[in-house]
Amino acid sequence: MKKWIAIILVAALIALSGVSLAESEGIIKIAVAGPMTGDNAEYGIGFANAAKLMAEKWNSEKGGVHVGDETYKIEIVEYDDKSDSDEAAIIAENIVSDPDIWGVIGHFASGICMVAAPTYQDAQYINISPTSSHADYSGIGDYIFRNNTVITVETATGADIAINDLGGQNIGVLSIDTEWGVSAGDAMEANIEALGGNFVLRQEVSESAVDFATEIANFRDANVDVIMVAGMYGTLAPFAVACKNSGYDVRLVGCSNAYTDNLLSIAGDAAEGIYAPVSFFAGNPDPAVQEYVQAYTDAYGTAPSALTTQAYDSVGILLEAIERAGVLDREAVKDAMYETDYQGMSGYTTFDEIGDAQKVFTKIVVRNGAFVVAE
Amino acid sequence: MQTFLGAVINGLALGMAYALIAVGYSMVFGVLRLINFSHGAVYAFGAYMVFFFVSLKLGLLASILLSVVISGLLAMLVDKVALEPLRKKKSIPIATLITTIGVSFIIQNVLSIEYVFGSERRAFPSTNLFANLSIGNITIQSSQIIMLIVAVLLLGVLTFLVQGTKVGLAMRAIEQNRKAAHLAGINVDLVISFTFFIGGACAAIAGALIGGYYGVINPGMGSTIGLKAFAAAVVGGIGVLHGAVVGGLVVGVVECVAAQYLGSNVRDPMAFVILILILILKPNGLFGKKGITKV
Repeated sequence: MKKWIAIILVAALIALSGVSLAESEGIIKIAVAGPMTGDNAEYGIGFANAAKLMAEKWNSEKGGVHVGDETYKIEIVEYDDKSDSDEAAIIAENIVSDPDIWGVIGHFASGICMVAAPTYQDAQYINISPTSSHADYSGIGDYIFRNNTVITVETATGADIAINDLGGQNIGVLSIDTEWGVSAGDAMEANIEALGGNFVLRQEVSESAVDFATEIANFRDANVDVIMVAGMYGTLAPFAVACKNSGYDVRLVGCSNAYTDNLLSIAGDAAEGIYAPVSFFAGNPDPAVQEYVQAYTDAYGTAPSALTTQAYDSVGILLEAIERAGVLDREAVKDAMYETDYQGMSGYTTFDEIGDAQKVFTKIVVRNGAFVVAE
Repeated sequence: MQTFLGAVINGLALGMAYALIAVGYSMVFGVLRLINFSHGAVYAFGAYMVFFFVSLKLGLLASILLSVVISGLLAMLVDKVALEPLRKKKSIPIATLITTIGVSFIIQNVLSIEYVFGSERRAFPSTNLFANLSIGNITIQSSQIIMLIVAVLLLGVLTFLVQGTKVGLAMRAIEQNRKAAHLAGINVDLVISFTFFIGGACAAIAGALIGGYYGVINPGMGSTIGLKAFAAAVVGGIGVLHGAVVGGLVVGVVECVAAQYLGSNVRDPMAFVILILILILKPNGLFGKKGITKV
């Protein structure tokens, strides 16, 4: 009996390996690495969904990527970093040990990106983070790109909302104590002051914090009427709830990461009136955007967010660079990346010499339980 | 001064909820001389059960009652499945302790499974059932008032249960000497199960109160609070009911005041700073009895 099972298993193993060998011919793999579980899961899952949609589009419309005379099918492989530096380091090692992978889309938070990026750089794997906004990230190496602006650009729009749209007299900043949160909080302070606003108080909380009683008491004491929040929806949503519950009348301005379904579902009524600057808005009437939103909604049942769309464009940018290089050579593809001239859904993308993208931001706000363009 | 008072009030409300969790540690320690680290996970489980029943549109109160019963049963089950067999085989105490830590991971990870509840934060129905109370600059939320009242009532009931009923008498008897209690005709296994049930039920109520106060829950919510409540139980003197209450209040108030003046990063470590200080000054905790060394 045992012998038979063993024989069957071995046979199955051989058959399976045969299948995978046959399939790996003519395939280009793209790794998507991000938090698929945990408090930031909506972001990572969005990355993977968007990447698959873009890959499917190329596979069905063009048959795949054309490199020289050959056509390669595109395959997306997902990796879950759980928003954890240790996991990200292991994942990066796994990715660079697979020679079929030609680029990495990810990771999500800057601190995690900066742990994984040196591994990609050393192995000459192109890494495009759709979201990392820490100033130092793209400087890690010439294989490291981001399809996102540096945080100072995004927070400048945020500060503009706080000062001009909301007319904040005393503006506060709440930031999470991660690498990204600290740099975003600093950028907010600098931008408020640069735009002539009155910055009064900075408060810092841990990313897992749910108790904001202290911070609210301090903001209230300082007569803060507008707070810019440098946190993910996991922080912004409960903070909005806490403000509302304690009867503190304050206006909140988030970052582009606030543009998620989870912000609305966790914060509920408390989300009303939260502002955010985004590079992409699903309500944009542009027909190309609407076609993409429709395709995404049909596939996943929900409209894409700004950060998801930056991931979608990142895959397109990478695939075009591979075609432009005309040869499957990591250095050639890297050089082609710098010639990027990409009209994507999240705006027009070019890379400067260190691999940072430039974008234009739209102001959005939550009204009646949905995001709309702020008038 | 007002900020200080505000922090104290926040601390009192939170401290009473900690006390509710701490009595679970204390009571189980009383009958078994065991620190049950799966207790924090039962607290998270209780909050998720309320969340689940509310999403079925059962109403908040009915959901909490159902969750209390189910969480109590879960705590009982943990004892029956994981701890009792070890006890019967007279395994070393440390093995049982490690088992309870393992059980807490199992519960927490089952909650995190995508098809169960998922690992992300979820909106929890607010327990701000009536208007906030404002005194000067201090705002007391109705969820905090409810937290205080419910916890005080429950702890009163528990005290009566332990001091004034037959089952409480049995618990105290087991605490003093399990073998003798058994010989005197007490159904030891039943009383132990009952103790776990009460602990789990209290944890579920604490889960509903704290979840409703913050408005969010996540599967890992029990790990930090569980440890803090454990610290509170030890500060008050583990195995002593009113000790757990005082311990919870001390931990709650000190952490809120410390967060107010030293920054919120010191909030979580504060419980353990108190723990260490108290253990240096009073090794048995504030109300702890001197350990009886049995030969």
